[in-house]
Amino acid sequence: MKFLISIAFKNMFRNKLRTVVSILAIAFAVMVIVFTRGLIDGMIEDTYSLYIHYDTGHIKIIDQEYEQKEKLLSLNYTVNGLENKSLSEMESDLSDLDGIEMVVPRLKFGAAVSTEEELVQMLAWGVDGKKELKFTNIGRELSRGRMVESGKREVVMGTALLDKINKTVGEKVTMVYTTAFSSFQGATFEIVGEIKSNLPLLNEQVVFMPIDTARQLLYLNDESTELLLVTADRDQVNNYLPAVRNYLDQNGGERYLAQSWRSGNTFIQLLEVSEKIYNFIYLFLVLLSSIVVINTLVMIVKERTQEIGMMSALGLKSREILELFLLEGSAMAVIGSFLGALGGGLINYYLSGVGFDYSAAFEDIDVLMNPIIYPTFKIEHMIFAFVIGVVVTTLTAIIPARRAAKLEPTEALREI
Amino acid sequence: MSLIKLTGLEKIYQQGKIEVPALRGIDMEIESGEFTTIFGPSGSGKTTLLNMIGCLDKSTAGEIIFDGHSINDLDNKELAEVRRYNLGFVFQSYNLIPVLTAFENVEFAIRLIDKHSKKERKDKVMSLLEEVGLGDMAHRRPNELSGGQKQRVAIARALIKEPKLVLADEPTANLDSETSQEVLELMKEMNEELNTTFIFSTHDPQVMDYARRLIEIKDGKISKDQRRD
Ligand SMILES: Nc1ncnc2c1ncn2[C@@H]1O[C@H](COP(=O)(O)OP(=O)(O)OP(=O)(O)O)[C@@H](O)[C@H]1O
Ligand SMILES: [Mg+2]
Repeated sequence: MKFLISIAFKNMFRNKLRTVVSILAIAFAVMVIVFTRGLIDGMIEDTYSLYIHYDTGHIKIIDQEYEQKEKLLSLNYTVNGLENKSLSEMESDLSDLDGIEMVVPRLKFGAAVSTEEELVQMLAWGVDGKKELKFTNIGRELSRGRMVESGKREVVMGTALLDKINKTVGEKVTMVYTTAFSSFQGATFEIVGEIKSNLPLLNEQVVFMPIDTARQLLYLNDESTELLLVTADRDQVNNYLPAVRNYLDQNGGERYLAQSWRSGNTFIQLLEVSEKIYNFIYLFLVLLSSIVVINTLVMIVKERTQEIGMMSALGLKSREILELFLLEGSAMAVIGSFLGALGGGLINYYLSGVGFDYSAAFEDIDVLMNPIIYPTFKIEHMIFAFVIGVVVTTLTAIIPARRAAKLEPTEALREI
Repeated sequence: MSLIKLTGLEKIYQQGKIEVPALRGIDMEIESGEFTTIFGPSGSGKTTLLNMIGCLDKSTAGEIIFDGHSINDLDNKELAEVRRYNLGFVFQSYNLIPVLTAFENVEFAIRLIDKHSKKERKDKVMSLLEEVGLGDMAHRRPNELSGGQKQRVAIARALIKEPKLVLADEPTANLDSETSQEVLELMKEMNEELNTTFIFSTHDPQVMDYARRLIEIKDGKISKDQRRD
């Protein structure tokens, strides 16, 4: 067997160009797999964190009724404490639960700024500036100024929104909004920060203000539209969720809904399904490239017919002849897959730093997704692609190798 | 006991619907240590006969006894075993593996048997290569050797496992007459030294002269069988 391996290896050099083409075909397919995996993984990872930061937290607590009316930004179904507890007490109780690291309140409502041309609609988020900085990546996206601070009448918004209302950091802006009692009112704020984000939500829609300021303006007490719980490990959410639900039930909070970030998020579910579908595409891709190897082996078997006859005369059994050709095919598979995995890994390693600009493809699609994707660099992707490359190619190489093994020695020897 | 005993051996090839009789009842015995040529015109059945004796193909009728055992009922795998351990082949077109050196080509045959250590193998191969006059070319590839040298490597490859029988189908057909004679000399020398049985086919009268036994076949039948000592 050992000497069959060595012969198979040497045989690869008989027609170098053909061998190189076969190896490159596999390398290419494997590289694409590593890259695509890294890209999708990066996309999923990015999407996860965006959703978690700007939508769901790890666990989101809202009023049951609010769920349907979320889009309307209703202020009638707020989270405002429990039977005998104020919202602040509820927050501190929740953060004392096992695995809950932080409770982030948000108070969302509609607001608008009128310019000379139009009324610019926006999404006002009353937030705890310090907690937002800690929980989200907003700090990184703040291109000028600072995040809002509690007690002050100030706002932070995205570049596109500032452009629309023709303002910059340092200037004042007057916003109109509807209070909890449905009266229409206005207030003036100082713009203290600008967010430069690829995310349309942050760039064009949201305006942050301190949550206490928002409550005061809207005539709300200790209330928020939602509470986001941050846990120790987002993948362990289902272990933390029962305690949260239990706490709510025992304190008369049956009207509240506590949801894991995974549930009800169709886009994340879609991505997870697509990840599985892609596995089939990878398989198909490798199958395609292994056709090159099959073709090479078919040619090889044809060219070496005499030699096969000789080996058979020398007493090599069909099985050993099959192995010899299979080894030659899998040697190409191993080298090609190795190079491909390495190449794909390098690409991902590079792109995980600089990012991959996807924005053109997502221009008109309204999903919470970052148009610049940072593919993840993971050794496991390289191993995965390498294994697929080797296994699939070797399996398909059985077809031509069997042809060689089935040759009758006398027929093979007669061939010129 | 003779090494090979053929009785009523027949081979009919099926070419579509046409039956081509290549051998029509061959009876012959070959003793151990003989140096025999099978000659005859093209298409007379020489190759077919050697293939039968060499356990490469199965006969249509008749019996082949090799070294006391009938090989008629062996399956392909068992036939391969017989070839691997007991037979050596020399081909018209050498059939060396181009990516292996002369040394490795010879070693190939003995590695299939796998009963020697690496060192033993090396010594055996080297001494045989020296014996066939290629001691200093052991590390050349086939494309760096002349036709005669290639055939010497092939003879060494056939002999390395010390087989009972070496079969050579037209071993000199690709060589000029001088080289042919050298190759035949070598085969004869090996036959005498190692007492290996040789059967080779040819239609070259000059080559036939080397044989100690001449078997002529015509139309799939033995037409002449003479010994010369
Ligand atoms: N595979 C085959 N199918 C059909 N007919 C065959 C086959 N092999 C040989 N024959 C026929 O059998 C006969 C004997 O062929 P064989 O090759 O044994 O002759 P040969 O004596 O070796 O001839 P040559 O000197 O040309 O090599 C010929 O008529 C040939 O056409
Ligand atoms: Mg012939």
